[in-house]
Order: sequence, then structure tokens, then C-alpha cells
Amino acid sequence: MQTQWKWKIEAKTRWFQWNLKELWQYKDLLNRFVRRDLIANYQQTVLGPFWIFLQPALTTLVYWLIFGKVARISTDGIPPVLFYLPGIIIWSYFSDCLNGTMYTFLQNSALFSKVYFPRLIIPLSAIVSHTIRMLVQLLLFTGIYLFYLIFTEAVKPNLYILLLPFLILLTAAFSLGTGLIISVMTARYRDLDYALQFVLRLFMFASPVVYPTSIVPEKYRFVFWLNPLTPIIESFRTAFFTTGPLHYKYLLLTLFSVTVILFTGLTLFKKKELNVMDII
Amino acid sequence: MTNKMIRAENISKYYNLGRLGSGRLREDFKNWWDRSVKNSRQEKEPRNHIWALKDVSFEVSEGEVLGFIGNNGAGKSTLLRIISRITAPSSGVIMGNGRVASLLEVGTGFHGELTGRENIYLNGHILGMKKKEIADRFDAIIDFSGVEKFIDTPVKRYSSGMYMRLAFAVAAHMDPEILIVDEVLAVGDAEFQRKCIGKMKEVSTQKGKTVLFVSHNMQALQSLCHRVIALHKGEIIDSGEPETVIGRYLKRERKINSFQEYEAIPYAPGNDSIRIKKVALLPEYVNDQEVIDIRTPVNIHFEFWYLGAAYDNLIAGVHLFNMKGECIFDVCSEGAMYTNGLIEGKCTIPGNFLNDGSYYISLVFVKDTTNPLYHFEACLAFDVEDYRKDTAWYGKWQGAVRPAFPVTLTTKE
Repeated sequence: MQTQWKWKIEAKTRWFQWNLKELWQYKDLLNRFVRRDLIANYQQTVLGPFWIFLQPALTTLVYWLIFGKVARISTDGIPPVLFYLPGIIIWSYFSDCLNGTMYTFLQNSALFSKVYFPRLIIPLSAIVSHTIRMLVQLLLFTGIYLFYLIFTEAVKPNLYILLLPFLILLTAAFSLGTGLIISVMTARYRDLDYALQFVLRLFMFASPVVYPTSIVPEKYRFVFWLNPLTPIIESFRTAFFTTGPLHYKYLLLTLFSVTVILFTGLTLFKKKELNVMDII
Repeated sequence: MTNKMIRAENISKYYNLGRLGSGRLREDFKNWWDRSVKNSRQEKEPRNHIWALKDVSFEVSEGEVLGFIGNNGAGKSTLLRIISRITAPSSGVIMGNGRVASLLEVGTGFHGELTGRENIYLNGHILGMKKKEIADRFDAIIDFSGVEKFIDTPVKRYSSGMYMRLAFAVAAHMDPEILIVDEVLAVGDAEFQRKCIGKMKEVSTQKGKTVLFVSHNMQALQSLCHRVIALHKGEIIDSGEPETVIGRYLKRERKINSFQEYEAIPYAPGNDSIRIKKVALLPEYVNDQEVIDIRTPVNIHFEFWYLGAAYDNLIAGVHLFNMKGECIFDVCSEGAMYTNGLIEGKCTIPGNFLNDGSYYISLVFVKDTTNPLYHFEACLAFDVEDYRKDTAWYGKWQGAVRPAFPVTLTTKE
């Protein structure tokens, strides 16, 4: 009697059953989803993929006018364009990834109710396609940065620049973990959606996107650093502008909290991915 | 011995009927509190629920074509959803050996903005194919779909027929170990359906693949399946040879809807004017299986007590409706005077008149041609099965009726 079965479904999914091997078998599908996102998004638009540049450029302009010129918030002596761009790029990367993953079940219920594939492919493909967009935006930043580096003496790079891939990875992991947790919750409690968009907007102002951490009063600064995005954005600036020492302790704290969040997200997602289909 | 491809052990599935609204958070919290904190284990079965499947066990071997029959709500779809790994059972285990691909709904994941070519790849990968597999079959897929001219056009510009053909072509070429076909016969034109059935036969006989087939088309089930399982209210009630299981299934279905009799006036349906004693459906079977097919004449007998004022002009009418609620015909008796008492009515629907499908009958009693006395609504129901001498094509025959008067052709020149 044969005992080998290629797949098996039981009433209760066990915790920590991530099936990474199966995930790898579906890498072609992931590629296709990424392609679909990138192609379909800019179909029938006049400017096409140029929007990838235009979005951060326009945001930078607006922030510079409002927060720099009108509100006169310090930029730590860095040229405003360069100061705002890293925050905007990291922030929009985070919020795009989060928005791309947190409705996984709601937006794909039609697909999920018809065919099986590892559900994790969907949030992962969202992360990958947003990463590609973010890398293109980094090119814009690099261009402007090189301009300032060559023609002015306003910026000084240092070796921490090598940390950049790690910072990107941290941001991706943070948004994926959070997105996975929320995706399971939004499937069950729809109204969470409204609350989340509001919280997300507040969260941007709790992160050093339009201001440097140095303007936060000393007493509250510790709470401020607990936000995983704060060390990421600040380290980015430190690396490119040499604004101050690298807060490696806080960066390690972020590494720790992000790992916990990602682990929780993956576990919860894998455990709930089948049950969720019955309540959507 | 042949390999087992799927084994289901005591699968059950229930769906909660709880409120899907603001009460959910509180309900969830209460359930969690009861379970974890108060640790009350006695209420293991949830309260507001319906059982979609109960203790279903079966095995499918390699190369077998297994059919599922059952009326609406019997649990067929839920079972297929579990086999396709879309949802998990509430209890029990299901194990499988190999890729399950379902034609539950073809075109899954098609994206309107993408071209036919892009969609073939996307759809193929969603269905679990590898890049190379798709590339190898790419030409065959385009051939099968017949849309090669438009392969680089976004599919949102396709006609719905082209869209369906392309979608089915991908699904038909993915070559899974286990293929699920559900009601796929209901879509597309005749030519396309012939292709579908052909593909299914090829997959099962030539390639020795396992097929799970769900359909309301008894003829197709009978000729394609090796074994049929009948489901009723989530339980397996019958399984075995297609012919026997289908025969028993149809008989069971028929019994429920073909006869009503009431002993005495107080218990009979009706009102002060009319009380129904009996309604019966008496087909004159032309086949030994006792199945109503399009050739079968069907007699309708009814008896009723007339209690209204004597010497009124009374008419009894028979209305036949299809399942969409469209009235197919409305026939009635000649108006005549009757005294109070038991009256018998008869009507025959001739053979070779109705198309295949499901029908129900209402009786109508009218006084003085315009005053309705009583409507005995949907009192009888029956299915007319298809019958064709030529079984090459299984598509749905068009039309509300299917009379057998001849169409003649003569060569003129």
C-alpha cells in the first residue's frame, strides 16, 4: 500500500508550516505577477513608467514648499531636495508595500476561490514589484546626489552607504510582516480598512520623513526611535550625508522587532490562509 | 494494483451562519473567551451552522473518471473546493498525489490589460505549470483556441467567445494529474463543446489521467464516467456503476415531486371553493429505465372537490413553467357548469414536444372565465432528460420546446 502523498489537507493547519520548498516551485508565477503589475499599471497612461520618477519628484517639491519654506522645519543643513528624497522614497516604499499586501485576501478572493497556489505568492509579488519601483526611484536620488557631490561641497558620503541594501531589506520585511498580519485581519473585519488608512497617515508624521530626528525633544526621542522606520531613514541619511553618528543600537533594535513582526506575519498567514476563504 | 490519486477520509465541512457584521468582533471575542479563558469544552460544535458535507470518504485511482451527481445544495461544489485545495475541511483529512487542476471556472486570473500571450503565461503559471511546459504547448494552445490573429491584443478587446476559448485552451493543455470538470459543458458553442468533451476523453483514456466530473447532463455522465457518486445533503448516499447510480438517483428525485394525495377536505390544500384531493404525474415510459426523456408522453391526473356556488362556469387550467419561471404553455378545460362534488381532470403532454430541462406545473381554477378561484402553485415537478440517437454532440439543444415535425430538404438543381 502506498503511503506517500504529495499533498495533504487537514482540518487544522499546524503552526510553523511554511512550505518554503513549494513556494520556490512557484517562482515563475511570482515573476508573472510582478510583470502583470508593472505592465498593467501603466497601460493607457500618457507618461507611462515615467510616473515612477514623477511621484517622488513632485512630493519632494511639495514638501520642500510646505515644510521647508512655509513651516521652516530644519533639514540638518542638507540641501532640501536631498534631505526629503530618502525619507520620501523609504516611506512610499513602505506604504506601497503595506497597501499592496494588506488586502491580499479581499482583492484576490475571486482568484483564491477558484484555484490553488501558495497564497504567499501574491504579497511577495507585490513586494517585489514595489522594490523594482523603489530601485528606479533610488536612481533618481543617486543622480541628484552625484550632482551635489561633484558640483558642491554640501554632502559627504561615508562607508555606511554599504548598509543600503540591508536598510531596504529591513523596510521590505517590516512592511511584509505588517501587511500579512493585517491582511488576515481585514479579511475578517472589513472596517479595519478605514481605521488603517488614517493610522497610516499619522504614522508618516511619526517617522522622520519631513523632519530630522534632531528636532524631536530629548525626552521623547527614545519612544521615537522605537518606530522601526526611524533608524532606517536616519541611517540612510547618515550614510549619504554624514549628519551624525550611526545609531547602530537602534538599528539592531529595528532588526529585532522587524524579525519578530515578519515571523508573526508569516506564521499567522500560513495558518489562516485556507480558513479565511470561508468568511470572505 | 493501480495507484490511488486522492483519498478523502471522513471529510466534513460546516459553514457558520453567524452575522457578518458589526457583531462579529464581539462574537469572536466571546467564543475565544469561552474557549480559552473559561475553558468550557462542552460546546465543541458551533451553534449557528449548516453542514455542507458530512463524513464523506472516497478514493480515486489513477486513470479513473469519477462522476458526482446530486441536486443543488448536495455538497458537490464544497467537495470540489476541498479537493482543489481552496478551502479546508472542518474535520477529516484529504490527501492527494499530484497536481489538481479544475475547470471550475476557466480564465482564472486573466487580466484585461494584458495581451493574449501574456495571459497564457500568467494563467498557465496560476494553474501550476512551469515556464518550459507552457512554452512547449504554446502553439497547441493557440491552435486549440483559434485566436492566433489576436494573440498580441489585450484580452479586454476580445469577444466573450474568444476570451472563453483562449481560457479553456490554457486550462485544457495544462496536463494535470487530476482534472476537475464542473459544468463546463454549459458554456460555449457547439463546436467548442465538442472540443471540450474530446479533450476530456483524451485526457482520461489516452493519457490515463484521473478526472472528476460534475454535471447535470446524465447522458454525458453515463458515457464518460467509470463510477458515479451520488451526494444528498452533504452525504454520500450511493456509489457505483454509472447506469445504476444515475437510474436510482433519477427515480428518487422523481418520487418526491410526482404525487400528492389528501384524504379529507379539511387537510387538503385549497379554499372555500376548491380543495385538492390528488395530483399525480404519470409518464408513459418508452425506455426500460423509467426515465422521462424528450420522447416520453406525460399524463397529468388531478382530482378536486368543488365546494363553490353551484351552476357557476368553471374552468381548470394547467400551466407549465420552466425553471426560470417562464410559462411554456397554459391549457385549460372548456367552461362548464358543475355541482358540488369530486371532479377529475386529465391532461397529456405529448412526447416529442418538450425540450430537455426541468419543469414544474401549477393548476389554476377560474370561475366565469375571469375570476380566479384557486392557484395550486408548483404542485408537480419533473425533469425531461435528453435523448439523441447521435451522441457525438452533448451541447444544450436550443429552444423552449422540441417538437418532432420534419424539416425537409430537396435538391432543386
